[in-house]
Amino acid sequence: MTGKNLVMGALKAQGVRYIFGYTGGAIMPIFDEMENFGDIQFIMSRHEQGAVFMAQGLSRASLSTEEPLIGVCISTSGPGAMNLTTGIADAYMDSVPLVAITGQVATGVIATDAFQESDVVGVMMPICKQTYMPLAADEVEATFHEAFYVATTGRGGPVVVDVPKDVQDQEVSTGYSFDAKGYRPDLPGFFFHPTPEREPLQRAIHLINRSERPIMFCGHGVINSNGGKLLQKFAEKVNIPFAFTLHGLSALPSDHHLSLGMMGMHGTVEANRAIMEADLLISFGMRFDDRVTGKLNEYAMNADVIHVEIDPSEIEKNVATTVAINADVRRTLEFLLDDPMLTCKPRRRWFEKIASFREVMAKDLQEELEGGVGEDGSLLMKSIIHQLSELTGGKDLIVPDVGQHQMMAARFYTYQTENSWFASGGAGTMGASLPMSLGVKLARPDERVWSISGDGGFQMNIQELGTVMEQQIDVKILIFNNGYLGMVRQWQTLFFDGRYAGTPMQSPDFGLIAQAYNIPYEKVENREEVRPALQRTMDSKGPVIVEFICDPSEVILPMIPSGGGFNDMIVKRPARKKQAAAKSKGGKK
Amino acid sequence: MKRRTILAFMLDRPGVLNKVSMLIRKKMYNVDTLTVCSSRIQGISRMTITLEEDDQRKVEQIIRQLEKFTEVISVKELHKDNSYWREVAIVKLEVDAAHLESFQGRYNFEILDRKSEDIHILQVAGSTRHIDGFLDEIGREYIVEIARTGVSAMEK
Repeated sequence: MTGKNLVMGALKAQGVRYIFGYTGGAIMPIFDEMENFGDIQFIMSRHEQGAVFMAQGLSRASLSTEEPLIGVCISTSGPGAMNLTTGIADAYMDSVPLVAITGQVATGVIATDAFQESDVVGVMMPICKQTYMPLAADEVEATFHEAFYVATTGRGGPVVVDVPKDVQDQEVSTGYSFDAKGYRPDLPGFFFHPTPEREPLQRAIHLINRSERPIMFCGHGVINSNGGKLLQKFAEKVNIPFAFTLHGLSALPSDHHLSLGMMGMHGTVEANRAIMEADLLISFGMRFDDRVTGKLNEYAMNADVIHVEIDPSEIEKNVATTVAINADVRRTLEFLLDDPMLTCKPRRRWFEKIASFREVMAKDLQEELEGGVGEDGSLLMKSIIHQLSELTGGKDLIVPDVGQHQMMAARFYTYQTENSWFASGGAGTMGASLPMSLGVKLARPDERVWSISGDGGFQMNIQELGTVMEQQIDVKILIFNNGYLGMVRQWQTLFFDGRYAGTPMQSPDFGLIAQAYNIPYEKVENREEVRPALQRTMDSKGPVIVEFICDPSEVILPMIPSGGGFNDMIVKRPARKKQAAAKSKGGKK
Repeated sequence: MKRRTILAFMLDRPGVLNKVSMLIRKKMYNVDTLTVCSSRIQGISRMTITLEEDDQRKVEQIIRQLEKFTEVISVKELHKDNSYWREVAIVKLEVDAAHLESFQGRYNFEILDRKSEDIHILQVAGSTRHIDGFLDEIGREYIVEIARTGVSAMEK
């Protein structure tokens, strides 16, 4: 028996079904061992960053299924491991459990600047939940099982195991013997506190009963604890409106009558205004990120805050809390729902006020959604998303990339399926969508998966079309091509006097790219073609690429400027600078 | 700025010191002193960190983030009125014996070595202020070399 066999044995014992990755010198022994483990399928990415996002997709999408799978990615030492870093930092920001295995140069040459050597443990330490480096084959089993335990227990996160090449090949006398069932490693410093304490719960209920203008927040922790249905029950029971963080989307239906939609920088007017006027915030599983709060000293100034959160280091980090409940979200909801002291109020005035907030942008948005095109006649992203939502009934799985189209997909798709939205949020990694969607599809093969990217982000991991081609993974790939890095362009429009530095970009002929990878492709330029093209894509089997030619001047509103408060919310698009500029140019002539 | 002392117990494993110091750097503090030693229990180290911060919430945030590390078992802030903060300094001084002796009563230092008539190596222990006071009074211009351990602390 050798170290490599124990590595694969540990993965098998953990129920791993897929390994995403890319081979290389220092990881060859483990790859060599894979063929002896037929239950585990290897999926080759075309770049290690692709592999880690595929692993993320698998972890994220399967956590709400009966058999949650943990994404595993694998790479060689040095450049292979370094290419994983972005995806690992991304998983850490978004609390996604995964295990990354990296090969390392042999122990005898570590720290001699050997070929393809980098200090993986040193590099990964601040961007993941835990790092390990087993130095002998007999440490392998315990190390891997501890890695899986740490990755998945409490607030999830990525864990890196760096395995020197000689350890992979090292002989040990015993065979795989580890009993992983119910294994709890001895970690005296690893705290995790799922059950809420009685005293803060009582105080929370008192605040809820007393409040006139409460609002609830649905964060990522609701999805991660599979608490969406309970949160809906709770909201209905106490008659309190709720808003979503970016990662809380799809925990419960976004068209629920109590839903205010997404909050924060690109959140809805009704969510953000309601927060400003609220007297109580009840937040479930979130971390009050700057994109959610805006300027902290102006944030919800008249509100008490109840913060339910599994990670104690998030409590009081950004927003002062009145009642902190350090516990699992679902467990807390179970306790709250059972409490006989909880009362329900009609809150008529509060809901009337919220209804008036809903009116602020309703007309403008309706016009854009129905018109479907911008001033230059090219397509509006929000209208495409809206039509996709109508056609699919909001039931499909959406994997956006990062940028304007992501915010459009967050706002204008009506999520009906629990855990159906998978986005790089905290890190905001462009290029995440295509590889992540492949992991999502493998986790939920019976559901339709849409990978939606801009022309910029799509080209950041475009090489993963090779993986799509090879594995024939059935994802529907939409490219919103507006010839710009749209979100930065929007900031330039609003805050940099329309100087578009570094945002215009040329793209290749995506039709030829699709042809090269043997993936069906179509291009949509007119609004009449949008719905039929989406319908054809839905009805098709296998991967498809659809490119939409979009209006570069489209903006996602409302918007709270970075570092601004909710009072600075922009709800009207600025007058077109282009014409004004053209006029002044003419004048100079 | 208010000086803070944070006491932490953690598993004695490679990389833990790295993690702690990286967190403090990430939070944009400059460590005043950091001492590590073994604790009463084998395999568990005791770390004392001092840094400067006025905002109590920020100190609590550091403590929570330290506690989050898998290897860190417990962390607390030690308050000045409820704990002892002590350090040791070894000083090589170029002074004559008579000058030195005039401080013996108040500062209770120990002479470790007398190199020549006017080169002395001595050890002085106590609070940071006590050591600073000694050095100020004796005259910092006489210091040839100095080594200080950094703060070690214990709750009353």
